[in-house]
Amino acid sequence: MSGKIIAVDVGGTFTDVVAVEDGRITTAKVATIPASSDKSVLAGARALGVSDASVFNLASTAGLNAVLTRRLPKVGFLTTMGHRDILDRGSLVRPLEAITDPTWRRNFGDAGGRPIIPRYLRRGVKERLNAQGEVFVPLDEAQAREEIELLKRCNVQGVAICLLHAHRNDVHEQRLRELVLEILGDLPCSISSETSALIREFHRASTTVMDVLMKNIYGDYTKRLQKGLDEVGFKGEFNYSDCSANLLPSDYAMQRPYQLLMGGPAGGAVSAAHFGGVIGDNNLLCADVGGTSTDISVIVEGVPWSAPTFELEHDLVVSATSINIVTLGAGGGSIVMATPEGDIATGPDSCGAEPGPACYGDGGIRPAVTDAALAIGILTPGGFLGGKKRLHPDLAMKAFESLDTPLPLAQRIRYGWNMAINNIAEGLLNISIGRGIDPRDFSLVACGAAGPMILPCLLDQFPIRRVIVPPYPGLFSALGLISTDRVYSDHRGHYMVLDGRSAPLLNRMYSAMEARLREKVGADQPGLRVLRTFDARFLGQSWETPLIEAPAGEIDEAAIQTMIENFRTTYEKLNANRFDNLPVEAVTYRVQLVLPAAKVTYPAAESAGPPQPIGETTLRYLYDEPRRAFEYDREQLGIGAAIAGPAVIREETSTTFVPDGRTATVGGHREIIIQ
Amino acid sequence: MANLAKPMSVEKVPVAGVCPECGAHALKRYEALSAGGWFQVVKCQDCLASVERKPWKRLGYVDRGHVDVILNARKAAKP
Repeated sequence: MSGKIIAVDVGGTFTDVVAVEDGRITTAKVATIPASSDKSVLAGARALGVSDASVFNLASTAGLNAVLTRRLPKVGFLTTMGHRDILDRGSLVRPLEAITDPTWRRNFGDAGGRPIIPRYLRRGVKERLNAQGEVFVPLDEAQAREEIELLKRCNVQGVAICLLHAHRNDVHEQRLRELVLEILGDLPCSISSETSALIREFHRASTTVMDVLMKNIYGDYTKRLQKGLDEVGFKGEFNYSDCSANLLPSDYAMQRPYQLLMGGPAGGAVSAAHFGGVIGDNNLLCADVGGTSTDISVIVEGVPWSAPTFELEHDLVVSATSINIVTLGAGGGSIVMATPEGDIATGPDSCGAEPGPACYGDGGIRPAVTDAALAIGILTPGGFLGGKKRLHPDLAMKAFESLDTPLPLAQRIRYGWNMAINNIAEGLLNISIGRGIDPRDFSLVACGAAGPMILPCLLDQFPIRRVIVPPYPGLFSALGLISTDRVYSDHRGHYMVLDGRSAPLLNRMYSAMEARLREKVGADQPGLRVLRTFDARFLGQSWETPLIEAPAGEIDEAAIQTMIENFRTTYEKLNANRFDNLPVEAVTYRVQLVLPAAKVTYPAAESAGPPQPIGETTLRYLYDEPRRAFEYDREQLGIGAAIAGPAVIREETSTTFVPDGRTATVGGHREIIIQ
Repeated sequence: MANLAKPMSVEKVPVAGVCPECGAHALKRYEALSAGGWFQVVKCQDCLASVERKPWKRLGYVDRGHVDVILNARKAAKP
């Protein structure tokens, strides 16, 4: 590995920082400042000496948080006359619970009360292209100027432009952008034919809107970060992580910044895939348990499951290839509450970073899962965050006592803890069984600060092969940013029945995308790989099977046959049918140029003799009688060390709980395997 | 009894003030039907930004007089 690499993962409560130099890993955690997370990033980077680093990788949640909280810049939206409510209707898909509820509204729609762009800033422009991309109604420039002048009077900070069928012909979008820049001056303006030239106008529109919002948010954010890094003398590469946890150089990322929206959650999955390769276990479920939520991803044969789109909220779709992550409302900060019937329920409400669990002593009065862990004895008052934060057991007990339920205190704590475990077990079961995965063949990677504490208890409820606690579990997502490659990508949408006649056009599309990307990346980069994929369906279907491999080189009749065969094989794997007589229609085409980047290595563990306890704790409420459990320091455990549960293994960024009847063994790369 | 001779139309009443979004002196108060039902709104007639929005009568302009007209018409239509 050449030089020092620093990776920063911004979380809701803490900003995790890792540095890797000559195979040695150093870590730091700094408090996240939600209002200006760039300050946390710079503080973390300085803490690990960014000035002499050669690479600085960042997974930012600034954009995602801005969308979820609607703290968004004021932007306008120009579209074909009569279609401005594209952004209100979404893709018309209602969630199951809303099928029979006439009062249900889309959260991002006008009636839902939280529109991404309010209706008066969505303006129709007189123009029309037909489905072949031919001009049907010419662009009315005078009328367009009036609408843009109005946006100017409203002081918009950016404009998104998405016209009907513009993925086939960008002539009107290009002209409209010229008018916007002429009238409004130099402000962010995204057009759908550049941002997301794909079919389906809502997907294209919402992606273009997200792009212009992120240009506003990340434009200033990046400038502030770059300035801060310059001030400390950093002269290396500055990369962002995208929705697949691929690295994008910051200047390239700013061309399509909507790709950064889900950069944070993807890190855990990539980290798990990389670590799985190191220890020779390639079928994994990864659960990243944070304060508020648990992010679950699936890794099959070493590759995280991906999707061509993701949703920020129900039906708020963004077209970007992303790692498929399911988020459950269960974490260390999940609130334990009494139901109206007097039962105990846990989550999905969370106490958040402020005030945090009651035991933090920062003003929280409602009990959380962390309070239950402290009351049980898994956490100790002085051992949290390596002793940096003192916990208050009396406040935790008081919070449980305040619950309005006839249940005795012991049951409130025990049931609250068990419900948290049960919620995650149910989520994992739905995800794995629902997608045709037998969890008995998979290992569960327990990461996130709360993961190793909660997830080993799942072994009693969920049929998983084993639980693996990787090194640095509390910073595992940040390590994902040093487990991945630099990737440049492009995509196009076009309906095309795959047969010999489609070869010339398909060849031109793939070649043009590849040439454009090679121009950006630079010719003859060592180790450069080209990946081509496409989304397709049987003719007549309305949904696609995504991310099917396409052959490299010239697309001729033989290559088309390979594409058809690849589609049928993938379709058969997923649906048990290959329909050899049905024609195949391709819809979306993608090219990725992959440049290998330096990755973290996990040094082999050394032998350290039989494990020696560093203390003892009493586990209350969890079992029928209090049980004594030995405490161990993870740093002192060598390869092959075996610890029988119940036991607690402590380290600075996390606590691992080994339940009664289970055994923890230290593996070849310091991973703890509980089975 | 409702006056059916007069066509129903929304009366937009000018409101003093400036639109906080575009700065135009074009605020008007009137009733509007949207996905959430009838609302009394104050909107800028230039940029159409909503300055004020309060729930209005559940059936909007439909009152007892309209219902009577419909019922009487149906009665009269029966043989």
